[in-house]
Amino acid sequence: MNPLLRDLLSDFVPTLLAAMVTNFEISFIALALGLLLGLPLAFLRDRGGAMGVGVSATIISLMRAAPTFVVMFFLLNVLRDVSLFGVKLAISGVMTVAVSLVPYSAAYAADAGVEALRQFRRGSPLGALLFLPNITRAFFVIVMSSGAAAAIGVPEGISVILREVAVLPSLGDRLIVFAIGIVLFGVPLQLGLAFMRWLQRELGRRMIAV
Amino acid sequence: MNRQFAYGFWIGLLSLLVAVMPVRAETPDAALAQLLEEARASCAQPSDRLTRVVCGGHVRAGVRAYYPLFGTRDGTDYEGYEPDVARAIAQRLDVEADFVRVNAASRIPFLAEDRIDFVIATMGHNTQRDGQVRFIRPHYYQSETVLVGPKALPIHDWQDVATRTICVTVGNGSNAEIVSHKARLMLFDEAGVLPDRLNDQTCTLAAQDDSFFAFYFIEPAFAATFEPKMGFAQVPWGMAVARTGSDKLARALDLMSQIFHRDGVFLEIARKHRIGTAFLEHQQAVWQRPDCNTAAGSTNGACILPALDASLQPTPFAPRVSAFEGWFERSFGLDLTLPMLKTAPALSLFLNGVVNSLILIAGALTATLGFAIAFGFALGSEWRLLRWPARLVTVTLQSSPIVLTLVIAAALANAIVPYSSAVALGAAILALGLSNGSNAGQAVSEAVITLHHEGRLSGMGLFTRALARSATSIVSFLVNAAKGTPIASFIGAPELLSALTDITSFSSGRATTYCLLLVFYTVVVMIVVWLCNRLRDWLERGEVMA
Repeated sequence: MNPLLRDLLSDFVPTLLAAMVTNFEISFIALALGLLLGLPLAFLRDRGGAMGVGVSATIISLMRAAPTFVVMFFLLNVLRDVSLFGVKLAISGVMTVAVSLVPYSAAYAADAGVEALRQFRRGSPLGALLFLPNITRAFFVIVMSSGAAAAIGVPEGISVILREVAVLPSLGDRLIVFAIGIVLFGVPLQLGLAFMRWLQRELGRRMIAV
Repeated sequence: MNRQFAYGFWIGLLSLLVAVMPVRAETPDAALAQLLEEARASCAQPSDRLTRVVCGGHVRAGVRAYYPLFGTRDGTDYEGYEPDVARAIAQRLDVEADFVRVNAASRIPFLAEDRIDFVIATMGHNTQRDGQVRFIRPHYYQSETVLVGPKALPIHDWQDVATRTICVTVGNGSNAEIVSHKARLMLFDEAGVLPDRLNDQTCTLAAQDDSFFAFYFIEPAFAATFEPKMGFAQVPWGMAVARTGSDKLARALDLMSQIFHRDGVFLEIARKHRIGTAFLEHQQAVWQRPDCNTAAGSTNGACILPALDASLQPTPFAPRVSAFEGWFERSFGLDLTLPMLKTAPALSLFLNGVVNSLILIAGALTATLGFAIAFGFALGSEWRLLRWPARLVTVTLQSSPIVLTLVIAAALANAIVPYSSAVALGAAILALGLSNGSNAGQAVSEAVITLHHEGRLSGMGLFTRALARSATSIVSFLVNAAKGTPIASFIGAPELLSALTDITSFSSGRATTYCLLLVFYTVVVMIVVWLCNRLRDWLERGEVMA
């Protein structure tokens, strides 16, 4: 076996897999916070009256327009100077990235929530349940976006790949490392998307049956 | 007559000898001795701090308390290169040294408030500080910024640094130089965290004063893993006294510094504390030269080093910007700082950042649309030889986080052409276009398949209808591409996020800067959303009409 490949499989791959746990951790936090913020906005947009609809629609479109990467740097550089009840907000790198992904996840959860509520009102509970595959899709989008954490020094998957690549002199060797990274990020993503498609198919079949 | 002639002859000869003999300059030792004698003689009327010091028997030295190897405090005792130099000075003055703890912020105010007589506290001599204190010449040390990284990392010069991320501290004077060599910065507030971030591999490279890293390099574990890659931005360190009431003290310290260099006193103390001695060795050779070893040596331009010119050229409207900041704070109670408008280099970075961001967004939108059509055509094609490779590329792009796609695009681009800002922008446009275009193309191909099933159209007519049917998805990925453009800063594309990070690394106002950045990008993305919605309406109208 190629010595580089042997080293990569014995050392790099386990390190990368361990670091990818951080990507999933970030994504879980971001999605949970997104649901917490997005679902009330969905209710407000669906049944909040003219004012409620206006307010929630404005907030959702602002969150949808906020670029995650810029939000991350904003939080990193501005939140460190903010105090809450006299205590400085010292949030960790992981939380900074997770919170920066909240505008996206909350906007997505709100959109999916509004659609689910409409389906439910139309008498299609299974249609409303399509909310679940949609949220699963959002989760995997967030996992892929969480790689931006490397830019602020959070030790997650992408930063491990970049660290490995930094000491490799040839482009060919670097491409091998990149390929391993794509496979390891891609497998859970493709499995997740397959699960989502299966869930959508199942729900669709049941809707037709009903 | 003969006698008078003889007297005249001898006087003339003596005058001639005096005239042709080389002038023997006064030594710094003699000048110092005379200065101290005069000071001791005027104890009744102390007009200068030197008199007060020699008559009072104490000299108050401002030193650092937590700067390993240079100034640390252990209980009431101060250790390190600088306290030992202060002790040597006190010994020469025949007084006792009283140490006062200072830090980077307090060392100059303490002099102005007469809480210390002189300061020796890791203070770089630059032209800005020249107006605040009187620096002692010659300088007692010189630091430089060193780039530290793992031994395995092949870094030899600035060319190897371009596109890499370097961990630095905010406000470090050498950040501007790092930025000019196209490296990205990761900012930290405190230098103390840099070795930890190198150890936990958060940072691959870190830049800081060599005097700071000197302590860590005497730790075997750190020295075994890391090494200084290169040094730059040399800054001479100077002792300083207050600008008023310290002329004679300053003169005495000037002369003592000359003597300490010449006699190797600085060098001996430096060796004792295991700090770098290259500068001191060079200075010893300088101050042993006959033209420098004189009482006037400390004003001889051939012997002393110039102060570092650290001032940035202000913009023509900098005073009005400052006035606006003041008015804003008075009116709204908010601290607004606009560093990007106050200095010429910052303004240039800012304007280039705005232009590059707009180019990047326009390029990413065009590339996304182009790749969406290309992928949609290939994925929806009936030819397997076209469809399958397109599917493989799509799955690969979908499986790669956007940051990784960007890095791969940059690595491939740099393998073909040398790194430049334009190459980074091009690689970013390509990566964003491919990533979003492949997803949008998949939506187009799905629309092609559904239209096939409906069996109403074929050829270009079918493809145009598919584009209209997948308009929502295309628009969604166009917006995503515009939102993703700031990530291009990750591969060194000089867009606005990158420019503002560089600006805040050597100026203040991080909070205001990042607030403005967030507003800029949010507004730009909202405009893109509005334009894309117009595009979607146009495409969907096409489908309805068809």
